[in-house]
Amino acid sequence: MSWHVDERAWRAYAAGELDPVAETAFEQHVTACPDCRAGARPLVPDAGALWTAVHAEVTRPRRPWPLRLLARLGVPESDLVVVGAARDLLLSWSVAVGAAVCCAFLTGLAPVRLPGGPPALFLLLAPLIPVLAVVATYDTTDPFREVTATTPFSKLRLALLRTTAALTAAVPLTVAAALAVPALHGYFATWLLPGLALTVATLILLTWLTARVASAVVAAGWLAAASAAAGAGGIQAVTTAAGQAGSALAVAVLAVVLVHVTTNHGAAR
Amino acid sequence: MTATLTDVSKQYGRTVALHPTTLRLDEGVVGLLGPNGAGKTTMLRVLSSALAPSTGTVTVAGHAVTGSHAERTEARRRIGYLPQEVVFPRGMTAFGFLDYIAVLKEWADTARRHDEVRRVLGLVGLGERATVKVKALSGGQRRRLAIAQALLGDPALLILDEPTTGLDPEQRASLRGLLSGRPGTVLISTHQTEDVSALCDRVVVLDAGRVRFDGTVPELLATAAGRVHQGAAPSPGAVQTWRTGTGLIRSVGGRPAAGSSTVEPTVEDAYLLLRSTAPEGAVA
Repeated sequence: MSWHVDERAWRAYAAGELDPVAETAFEQHVTACPDCRAGARPLVPDAGALWTAVHAEVTRPRRPWPLRLLARLGVPESDLVVVGAARDLLLSWSVAVGAAVCCAFLTGLAPVRLPGGPPALFLLLAPLIPVLAVVATYDTTDPFREVTATTPFSKLRLALLRTTAALTAAVPLTVAAALAVPALHGYFATWLLPGLALTVATLILLTWLTARVASAVVAAGWLAAASAAAGAGGIQAVTTAAGQAGSALAVAVLAVVLVHVTTNHGAAR
Repeated sequence: MTATLTDVSKQYGRTVALHPTTLRLDEGVVGLLGPNGAGKTTMLRVLSSALAPSTGTVTVAGHAVTGSHAERTEARRRIGYLPQEVVFPRGMTAFGFLDYIAVLKEWADTARRHDEVRRVLGLVGLGERATVKVKALSGGQRRRLAIAQALLGDPALLILDEPTTGLDPEQRASLRGLLSGRPGTVLISTHQTEDVSALCDRVVVLDAGRVRFDGTVPELLATAAGRVHQGAAPSPGAVQTWRTGTGLIRSVGGRPAAGSSTVEPTVEDAYLLLRSTAPEGAVA
């Protein structure tokens, strides 16, 4: 070795003051030079703690690609931790993809004799897709809700973070599924408000129920309401102006209830 | 830091888990003893804000847990809570789990949060296991990880529901050292009477949803003074008797048998005597 790292260089490196070229040369030299590595020891009195920190940093699992995408879009790091805790955002995204594909497949094959045809089946199933996606994000973290319930983090913010992340996959995929089936072209957007209403209703029920039970209750309620609507113009009534206005009103009312239960409920979430 | 429960009760349908109870918790370690179903977990859940009481008010450092959302949030900023059972998500690492809980405890700055996570991992002796997935940890390590999340941010009120379950004697001793040296208030529910005698400044005994005893360890021991005997034969009418390693029979309560001698009672003896006179009641 023709040169060695002195204390000043070590301090500059530790402070991140070296330019990229000098930093690379520094690292290559230190990697190959045991004398320089030995010389660094007096500068780091607690090497064990430093190594633990480096080890934790280096071996921390790499975030899944949806989270890396959200990071690039400027989502704060702490919000990514919350979203990522629902392990796997990939799970909810997978649920959204699978549900959208199944929805398109079923509606594409729906027999013409079915009352209302493929659009009716689509309008029945599509609003449940965001519910499934949201529930998938909650189901992973439900086991320790007793712990999270007693933290000061806003439960409304928690719900909205997870829901937004889930919906960013569920909504575009379901719209794409509708556009892929010719018979559904006119319905690709009309399911959105009912879907949003069911999602908010699910979030409200999550105050008291587990994710799976809450989604089952909402799904059963939606199917019961759809059956009851069969005599009043069928489920396609939601595509009319009155149906959309009614759905929008339901979203607004449920949103108020959600804010109330997440901020004023005595305990739980 | 002071936490108070004022006329707090909890009912599940017709079952009363906790009768109206008033307690004031000041600095120090308080042990909560009682049989299964005595209402210990209910009390801890109510105090931690995980469960709303049926009646009464709860305050932590002057902030009402049972009050407005803002008040409850302020109270939660001062609480560290270890539930009786923590079910971990399978995919998370020890570091990832604590990182998530730290975010929920409002540690937004990444560098400071990671430092805090490493600090509590070190406190519970899991510094070397930070990157291991929770599902690969042993039962004792998971329990220590659950304790670590309660220690995040060094809360003024630490509520621990049976923290020593699953820990070996060395780990229990280590936890005692950790808790005895920290400032603030610690409330521990436990079945381990030796933990109480080794660690607690004060003991509260719950039975059938009511406080049966509230005082210091010496005061609890005083209730059993002269009532524990050891000899060749059991004491007639004793609450409990057993043969010790020396071959002598230890009797708690009852009339001393001939030739037996009085011995110093333990917290367990005092607890057993207290329980022997406790009223029975239907409790969740």
